[in-house]
Amino acid sequence: MDQELAARPSPQSGLPMLSARGISKHFDGVFAVRSADLTLERGEIHALLGENGAGKSTLVKILTGVYAPDGGAVELDGAPVEFRNVIEAQRAGVVALYQELSIVPNLSVAENIMMGENTPARAGFVNWTKLFSVAGGHLEVLNQRIPLRRLAQDLSPVQQTMVSVARALAVNARVLILDEPTASLTNLEIVDLFRTLRHLRAEGVAIVYVSHRLEEVFELCDRATIMRNGQVVATEAVADLTIDSVISKMVGRRSDEIFPPRSAHEDEVVVQVEGLTGKKVRDVSLTVRRGEILGVGGLGGSGRSELLRLISGAQRAQSGVIRLAGKDVTPSSITRALDAGIAMVPEERRSQGVILDQPIRENVILANLLSVSSSGLVSKARVRDLANRGMTDLQIHARGTGQKVGELSGGNQQKVVLAKFLARKPTFLLLDEPTRGIDVGTKSEIYLLIQQLAQEGASVLVVSSELPELLGLCHRIVLLHEGRLAGEVAAETATEEQLLTYCYGRTA
Amino acid sequence: MTTNGPSSTTRVGSAEVLAAALPDRKIGVGRILRLSGTGIGLILLIAIFGALRPTVFLTVGNFVNILEQISILAIIAAVQTVVMVVGDFDLSVGSTASLGGALTAVLLMAGWSIPLAVAVALIVGALVGAVNGVLVSYLKLSAFIATLATMTSVTGLAFIVTDGANIFGFTKDFLPLGQGRFLGVPVPVYVAAAVSLLIWALLRFTTIGRRWRAVGGNAEVARLSGIRVDWVRFVAFVIAGLGSALAGIILVSRLASATAQAGDSQMMLAVAAVFLGMTMSSYGGANIGGTLVGVAILGVLTNGLNIVGVNTYVQQLLTGFIIVAAVGLSRLGQDRR
Repeated sequence: MDQELAARPSPQSGLPMLSARGISKHFDGVFAVRSADLTLERGEIHALLGENGAGKSTLVKILTGVYAPDGGAVELDGAPVEFRNVIEAQRAGVVALYQELSIVPNLSVAENIMMGENTPARAGFVNWTKLFSVAGGHLEVLNQRIPLRRLAQDLSPVQQTMVSVARALAVNARVLILDEPTASLTNLEIVDLFRTLRHLRAEGVAIVYVSHRLEEVFELCDRATIMRNGQVVATEAVADLTIDSVISKMVGRRSDEIFPPRSAHEDEVVVQVEGLTGKKVRDVSLTVRRGEILGVGGLGGSGRSELLRLISGAQRAQSGVIRLAGKDVTPSSITRALDAGIAMVPEERRSQGVILDQPIRENVILANLLSVSSSGLVSKARVRDLANRGMTDLQIHARGTGQKVGELSGGNQQKVVLAKFLARKPTFLLLDEPTRGIDVGTKSEIYLLIQQLAQEGASVLVVSSELPELLGLCHRIVLLHEGRLAGEVAAETATEEQLLTYCYGRTA
Repeated sequence: MTTNGPSSTTRVGSAEVLAAALPDRKIGVGRILRLSGTGIGLILLIAIFGALRPTVFLTVGNFVNILEQISILAIIAAVQTVVMVVGDFDLSVGSTASLGGALTAVLLMAGWSIPLAVAVALIVGALVGAVNGVLVSYLKLSAFIATLATMTSVTGLAFIVTDGANIFGFTKDFLPLGQGRFLGVPVPVYVAAAVSLLIWALLRFTTIGRRWRAVGGNAEVARLSGIRVDWVRFVAFVIAGLGSALAGIILVSRLASATAQAGDSQMMLAVAAVFLGMTMSSYGGANIGGTLVGVAILGVLTNGLNIVGVNTYVQQLLTGFIIVAAVGLSRLGQDRR
């Protein structure tokens, strides 16, 4: 490693600190990042922006050795690098700080800063004197007065972030990537963090700043790279951008050919949610009509998913009432909700939707055990019928109902989840990110299916972080901001800009 | 370096499907070897001992002998299978067997009728299981800690019940349960077969069986599908307690005596048998057929080594090796990610 360092051009050579060209990565046949270019100059703070799922995190993970790219090349200081893991990236000076993951709560501040290969030790024995003095030095550089012996878990969020930054200094980070570093910080603490980051910039560190908070980006960053659908759509100086121009670049113009034409819904209100409050969700009231598809938008952490969990009985509400056709059905459990006709397709398909190790038919019957059995005995014929019907109705591509769900593509796995819940014939269907990570063809099939269900009289609630999906599929869209309803629009006339404005809690 | 994405094709393009074809399932020799490895191991063991001592080992009498020796372990391993299907495990099965047996013996000595003494012991076993179930399902303790604690307390209870003494001399009418034969086959073998068959049927044909498998497969998916996960796990522990007590009662009848720790050694063997059996399932789950093969391996090993004349200390050493070898080999063929 030392020889490599010597072989590299000197820092003043004018080469960028890091240059990634043509980076691609796909999962399950779907591109997460495609031909992305990113150049980081030394001593700049570079914003990485994009909607949820635009590919920011994947790109960051490729730069830090978490994922191996399928294509493309990365150069650090002009020398090609291929990191096989996080440690190799760290040795080369490329470090990412994630929320909360970055500290070990039950170790001291100094130990956290001097973690891993950095711990001064001889023959396995820690040199505590040196550990404390070096760790203290790094905190001093950051102008932080944090007791070195305090446990990391007893620190405030900003102090924890500072400890992570100090650790990055300890490993001589030349490229520092911060993913939503201000999510849990107060305004004063943000000022403190920004001062530190500017200090590091002055020292020549290249900083990548991933954030949804655009105001911060304009205050702090020098340049911004904007991603959409896995591709880089622009890299520009922040001075040349406005919040509106960033939003329109993040959104782009997109085809909505894959959506079926909107059908009419009836006027009769079937679902009434009144004053629903949970941990994050605050006093949310909404109605859904018979045959209506209502979209719910909002940024990650806005309470979208919690809203669905509260309605579906997966999480107990603090207060609030849910009525179905005028009847109070506020569920105390998922079992009750299903019995009342409320079904939820959960957000995380692989960990919440399907049992990967088990066959399609075993998965499909999970929510339907009573209908495939009599007095506790499962009827093989009824299981077969139910599974076959699901396979046909949803056009699940598989060798048979005995194939393990883990062997199917993401889209077919999602159809298995849908088959499981649709067999309950819900009057109110909740869908959390129904097409995440699914190829476009299957997406289109799922949209059509959702619309058919609505036409047959079901009320549907769709949570999605893909704004075009909300606009293309739904009749009406409500937006959540920090747990509260921030706005409501008719999907036919709304624009993505309008939705994002509500999502960011700005009034139109 | 501004690269504007194409306006109308971006969305479709980014979600381009690379591989529409279903992944081919590899049915290679490795996979078959892995799945049947434990079964082959059993046959190999029989072949080796048969070759070493054909006149003693390879006799009908000796096989009946082996069946009798493993029947109590088979019952405990069968109920342990249920708990492990659900994704937990129960360390208290051995001490619950001890308590069940000891309680029966003490009650018989006190002049209770056989059905009443057996019934009380079974109920106490089920109660131990219920305590485990409450601790694990409702109080969310880890199964390891909860059942370790009940194991310890139940052993204490067994000592209190027996007052630390070896209890013998109870009514002869109780002995046929453990020592009797029907059509030349020992009664415990019938009981073990009945329990295994019952558990197999529960797992295969009933809704509770499907719920167990679902919870073991992914508890969160099961919960979001409307399955009452806590209740389902609770029932599994109750069955484990009940089955363990039954095994302990038969053990006391077979030995015609009871001590506070008579059944304790069964716990580790039962867990080992279930693990051996898990190697025979295509998805690596606990299953009753595999468990019985595991039980048979342990039985044949003990019996064969006895016949060959290997002392019990070396036997224990070898048993450990065999378990590691079987489970280790089954890992070899698995994909690494």
